[in-house]
Amino acid sequence: MINSMLMWVIVAAPDGGEPSFSIAKMMAIIVSAIFINNYVLSRFLGICPFLGVSKQLDSAVGMGAAVVFVMVLATLGSWLVYHNLLAPHGMEYLRTITFIIIIASLVQLVEMILQKFSPALYDALGIFLPLITTNCAILGVAVLNIDDKFSLGYSLINSVAAGIGFTLALVLMAGLRERMETANVPEALKGLPLAFLIAGAMSIAFLGFAGLGG
Amino acid sequence: MSLAQDFSRGIMKENPVFKQALGMCPFLAVTTSVENALGMGAAATFVLVFSNFLVSLFRKVIPAKVRIPSYIVIIATFVTLVDLLMNAYLPALHSSLGIFIPLIVVNCIILGRAEGFANKNKVLPSIVDGIGMGLGFTLAMVIMATFRELLGNGSWLGFNLLGEAYQNQPLLIAILAPGAFILMAFILGFFNIMEKRKRGGAK
Amino acid sequence: MGEIFKVGFMLMLVAVIAAVALGYVNSITSPIIAEQKEQAKLDAMIDVAGSLAMGELSFDSLSIPELENPYAEVDETLAVVSVTDSTGNELGYLFIAYGKGYSSTIQTMVAVNSTGTVTGTTVLYQQETPGLGANVSNPDKFLYQFDGRIASQFLLKKDGGGDEGLDSITGSTITSRAVTNSVRGGLDALLEAGIITLEGGAQ
Repeated sequence: MINSMLMWVIVAAPDGGEPSFSIAKMMAIIVSAIFINNYVLSRFLGICPFLGVSKQLDSAVGMGAAVVFVMVLATLGSWLVYHNLLAPHGMEYLRTITFIIIIASLVQLVEMILQKFSPALYDALGIFLPLITTNCAILGVAVLNIDDKFSLGYSLINSVAAGIGFTLALVLMAGLRERMETANVPEALKGLPLAFLIAGAMSIAFLGFAGLGG
Repeated sequence: MSLAQDFSRGIMKENPVFKQALGMCPFLAVTTSVENALGMGAAATFVLVFSNFLVSLFRKVIPAKVRIPSYIVIIATFVTLVDLLMNAYLPALHSSLGIFIPLIVVNCIILGRAEGFANKNKVLPSIVDGIGMGLGFTLAMVIMATFRELLGNGSWLGFNLLGEAYQNQPLLIAILAPGAFILMAFILGFFNIMEKRKRGGAK
Repeated sequence: MGEIFKVGFMLMLVAVIAAVALGYVNSITSPIIAEQKEQAKLDAMIDVAGSLAMGELSFDSLSIPELENPYAEVDETLAVVSVTDSTGNELGYLFIAYGKGYSSTIQTMVAVNSTGTVTGTTVLYQQETPGLGANVSNPDKFLYQFDGRIASQFLLKKDGGGDEGLDSITGSTITSRAVTNSVRGGLDALLEAGIITLEGGAQ
């Protein structure tokens, strides 16, 4: 019925050079990662540490700091490897396997370096580091940076913002849960169910940020 | 322990989601529809079964020191396999599960079973354990997705059950992010009550 | 030192085997994935172009050097395909509009006739919130309003489109705006380059 001789070729303006860095896009990325598409409350990434390490404010802050740290390093490593090693050789399919190896080795490396050179920091963050390898927010950021075709600069900004968003959710959660310790809750909801209810209420609040996208 | 026990353990007694609170990220994220829940369940079960199989098969060959990294590589390999196959043969499902396919790698259930079961047990029980845990995960997601799709969209597995009028004004929050958290709170609360009843009855 | 070497070698062996196996699977699936993507695009083209005219159609890619790219912000380029009937009469054009929505870059295929009126649209790709923005894929919820409009009429009511403007999807202004503005951007670029001209010559 329809004879098609088609070539779907890219024909618009020849590459207008490097995409320029715009402050507006940078702000959009930051606001989106922290509030609108908060990695925990809206994208459901990093739920395990969010529920596991949010019983006390101190440990929540420690975990948050460790996550921001590893997230930035993981983004740097994975972005460089993907765009310099995998993509030029058509080996995009090795992305998942490469990224998880990068993250696991980074965590190991950070742990060893901290232990040796900054025992104080190691004492503060050390116990959280092994948990970070299986924190899906880290791998999530690395993969999303590629999917969204962010440049290295934007990727790093996105990873910092995602880490801050994660920390924000974690700290808010810990604050609420500390208060709830003394509250009188129905027996059936004690523990994890209550944590989920609080997360739900916070998620509703974060839903309100949707309008910020302008 | 018998094979039947290995199989049923993951479905009820040690259900990874309801009893161990593992695999929460995909559980909350993809349960917006029953179709997605089944797709994610099948993908995770596939990875679980094959990673358990290989980990068990090579449990005496892989040096203890590089155990965990080796497991991660094995799991990542099967995840990539699922990713490629799904992209080729089930493109619509692949695009709606999106980033949660590569993230199966960091699903604690899979690494947990490799480290906690497969590396101490023979091949057959490990495979059966993988199937059981995978089905338990799938079942939990389907239950959750049933609530969310029915309340949030008035349908089940795409079939319109509650009628046009409901679909125009559904309980939208069930399908949005907060709904996942709140429904999970009630489901876990329900299990708490059941547990208490059982213990009360045993006394 | 020998111990470390042995362990490291083991780990490398695992990784190499995994990479080779995946490379093999990839060599099988990648042509299928590519073909299937091409097929999906072709299906959409045939579907959307059907709104321009019935009968036999042929497509030809169009190369216009002075065409401005309205989609630079999302790192995509405007590609245009001309649609002709069996006798070579120019019927209109197809293009894909890219708009940054709430959580994805939404791709919409648009058919426009040579006098600048949109005759058909379909969403090729979106990853918006299920239950909200994802409704953009359902033609009855949003896209039904697109047919018969010219570039200047692609404005949401909320964005100053007045009574003639488009109704956005409930709770999904960002998604609706992304699609609307991306279609308008593409049409404007085609007008600018003189590929389509509005009837009467007035813009």
